Amino acid sequence: LDGKDLAEYCIEYGQKLGCDYVEARFEHIVGRGFAYRNGAPISGGVQPTRGIGVRILVNGNMSFTSFDRIEKKLAEQAISSAYKMAKNTRRKNPIDLGDEVSNKAKWEVKAKEKIADVTNETIMNTVSEMNEVMKDLAQYTLLVNPSEENKYLVTSEGTEISSYKPYINVMMLLTATSTGGSAQRMFEMNPVGGWERIKDLNLIDVLNDEVERLIKVAEQAKGYDELLKKPIDMIVGQEVAGIIAHENVGHPSEGDRIMGREGAQAGESFWRDLKIGESQVGSDAVTVSEDPTLPHTGGFYEYDDEGVKARKRVLIKNGVLNEPLLNREYGTRFGKGSNGAARAVAFNREPIIRMANTFFEPGDHSFEELVEDVKFGVYMRSFMEWNIDDRRYQSKYTGSEAYMIKNGEVTDTVVKSPVMELTSVGLLTAVDAISNNFCIDFAASCGKGDPLQAVPVYAGGGEIRFRNIRLGGVG
Amino acid sequence: MTSLEKLKEYTELAIDFASDKAEGLLARASIQTQSQIRFSNSSIDINKRWEGLTLEILLIIKGAQIGMGERSISGKKDVKALVTDTLEFTEQLPESMFFAGVEESINSYRELKGCYDAKIDTFAEHAPEIVNASIDAALSEGAKRVAGALRFGSEATYFKSSYGPESSVKSTNFDLNLRAFQEELDYSGQGLECGTIPSSSEEALIAAGAKAGKLSKDAIGAKQGKPGTYDVILTPTVAADVIGYLPGAANPFLVLIGMSPLADKVGAQIGPDFVTARDDPTMKGGLASRRFDFEGSPARKTDLIDRGVLKSFIHNTTSGVMYETKTTGNSGVVEMGQGLKMLLPTPSNIVFENGDHAPDELLETSRPTIYVTCNWYTRWQNYQTGDFSTIPRDALFLIEKGKMKPIKNIRISDNMLRMFENITVLGNDRKQIYWWEVNTPTFISSVKVKDCRITAATQ
Repeated sequence: LDGKDLAEYCIEYGQKLGCDYVEARFEHIVGRGFAYRNGAPISGGVQPTRGIGVRILVNGNMSFTSFDRIEKKLAEQAISSAYKMAKNTRRKNPIDLGDEVSNKAKWEVKAKEKIADVTNETIMNTVSEMNEVMKDLAQYTLLVNPSEENKYLVTSEGTEISSYKPYINVMMLLTATSTGGSAQRMFEMNPVGGWERIKDLNLIDVLNDEVERLIKVAEQAKGYDELLKKPIDMIVGQEVAGIIAHENVGHPSEGDRIMGREGAQAGESFWRDLKIGESQVGSDAVTVSEDPTLPHTGGFYEYDDEGVKARKRVLIKNGVLNEPLLNREYGTRFGKGSNGAARAVAFNREPIIRMANTFFEPGDHSFEELVEDVKFGVYMRSFMEWNIDDRRYQSKYTGSEAYMIKNGEVTDTVVKSPVMELTSVGLLTAVDAISNNFCIDFAASCGKGDPLQAVPVYAGGGEIRFRNIRLGGVG
Repeated sequence: MTSLEKLKEYTELAIDFASDKAEGLLARASIQTQSQIRFSNSSIDINKRWEGLTLEILLIIKGAQIGMGERSISGKKDVKALVTDTLEFTEQLPESMFFAGVEESINSYRELKGCYDAKIDTFAEHAPEIVNASIDAALSEGAKRVAGALRFGSEATYFKSSYGPESSVKSTNFDLNLRAFQEELDYSGQGLECGTIPSSSEEALIAAGAKAGKLSKDAIGAKQGKPGTYDVILTPTVAADVIGYLPGAANPFLVLIGMSPLADKVGAQIGPDFVTARDDPTMKGGLASRRFDFEGSPARKTDLIDRGVLKSFIHNTTSGVMYETKTTGNSGVVEMGQGLKMLLPTPSNIVFENGDHAPDELLETSRPTIYVTCNWYTRWQNYQTGDFSTIPRDALFLIEKGKMKPIKNIRISDNMLRMFENITVLGNDRKQIYWWEVNTPTFISSVKVKDCRITAATQ
């Protein structure tokens, strides 16, 4: 019995027990990892993970169980236990997954250089090149994890979806020092595809550029009181646009948060008290979208983990709330149906509503046009510290690399850690223009759920200009 | 065959199979059953149960040429596959700069007291009732909606090292995170409870619900807080995250990679003389209590901060050699992305000495003071300097002129070293904290800190 056979048997067994809905997801991930500190290897390892996650509905009550051994008896025990727990739950408000979904598909991400065929030597040679460009930093830690994921989803409604996705996760903590102190930066890339993605993304050149920029920040950044005295104009780079799209728009748009399911963990959402399709939360210039179908991105998938076909979602359109992110359960509660946002990070996690790739739609200005109309302000190219409250309303973004803008020009004056501490509405209504210089290659791991599920996502947009905002961080 | 006998067989097989191919092998086999009940809007959303049996190995081919592997094990074939795959991978690796050997002494290990609940299966049957009782307790105290998660389970582990150490351990665990809300988004309260003996903790679990409900009611009418410099009172939940951070950063690996502000601070006075904290894997009821570490070094207490002075770091054999000292029994395995685990110094339970002030005494103040009952989303601008911010959530109060008034929407934007140095009072209400925001079990009481920077959104 292999994993796929056992997943199919789980459906049969669950139906025999009396489950109204059974979903089994077999996943087999083979990952390798390499860790380096200041150019020297510190660890390496292999970690194949394999198992089946089963979700069932009994009289509108849900259970999830998982097991990591492909054993029929273990599957039966686990599903029987899940069935008993669901049957005894007796919710007053039964869970309804809505219209049946019975998609049959096979999808895969094509890889020119398959991860499984890439030798450790090849990976370590690339790592050597990366370490070489980081050598001027005081400290640098590098993790490289290439993996391949095979998945098979089958449900009692007839869904049968097989998928293959290779991906690479590269993560770095960089520290540059100078006489004035140190500057740090977390830098991550998690492209989907074969090993060729390293070259496609110009990883070595991008990293070299990041290193040079961080050294400049450590050497030159200073605080300037005049920036705090009155409201100023701010322009943020695509990386900062991405984190704003993700935190201030993507998270509050999640249907389960809006209806309270994440209340004790990642929290609820300020969208709850607004009207989708009516409430204006940003200026006309603001359109923020979510799209899991963008090829090679960290958030890429063709079908979600409930078997729903992926599609683009426009979360905010011209400043007005447009569409929440939904899975089948919350799609039914909202009366809209799923828009394919269910993701599970591994076989042993339930699929929940997640973002994929979130971004500000590009505007029609060039970057130069954004800048030329600013008399006094700051260009924040990247960030380090950030956080946002659990309703996704009070956010803070502290700049990593930032420059003063004077009389329509970005100057060489490096500003130390400017703080944008604003509400979501305060931030989005201050946007007056977005550049056409679109980039979404900003990778992150997004945490949500309990147990925590960190899924790979991308974020970005065009550069954004904010008018008349007051820098924060003053206690 | 019992579970432990099966685990023992897997560790022995791994060592035997590798014996003619590598210098040494450490094997840890674990079988786990974990369950969770998640709820929101005062109703159970999902019941979860996980079954896992995994084998983790550290393979030492020669010298510092090491590799780690892990996989789920159905039988002997999987054990051999794990060793073969790890060997094949490790043979291609250069020597690690962060490996200088493992424990080679054969030790006796003290029994782990108070960490296994023989009634765990009975508890599992009653768990939905306990969840509902906790929800009801919150509602009775005035909450309108309740959300949360109760997790509980058991684990049996067998460890064997080709260098000699060998032992086993069984433990159980539970943790409840419950959050009570009014209809409004702004008025909420949290209750936490965790430990190792769930069957004797039913009253405490229900009390956590009641506490959350009361806090949510007390938070009604919260007004926007004003930025400025305040004294802050941090409940154990908040103190575990903010004040507990520094003893958690007394870790040589974090220093090496630039993620600790304590690099040059050993021997320095970093806090007041009434603050003492240690790493204590022997703590009764501690979620990270253990008999031995991943190398088979016996568990022991390690003083990290003694009367305000940073006394030492935690160590495994490798960092002990690097720092010209010895292991403190803190060798652990840390996951670093998909496919990679590393042998590193890892904390067990962080345990602060209890203070001697009743929580009510902390509230008596003549200075503008903010009482913070919960926080989350702690992030750093610079790990080496300790500059950070975190967001108070749930009930939050301004104490001014002898009165407590609920406030909202503020942020602690300060520095970890500065806040630790500015501790003025420790409460006598120490409890264990472990939840979404605090993933190292931390025993700590309420803490008062002077002159803390509070910020808020500018628009």
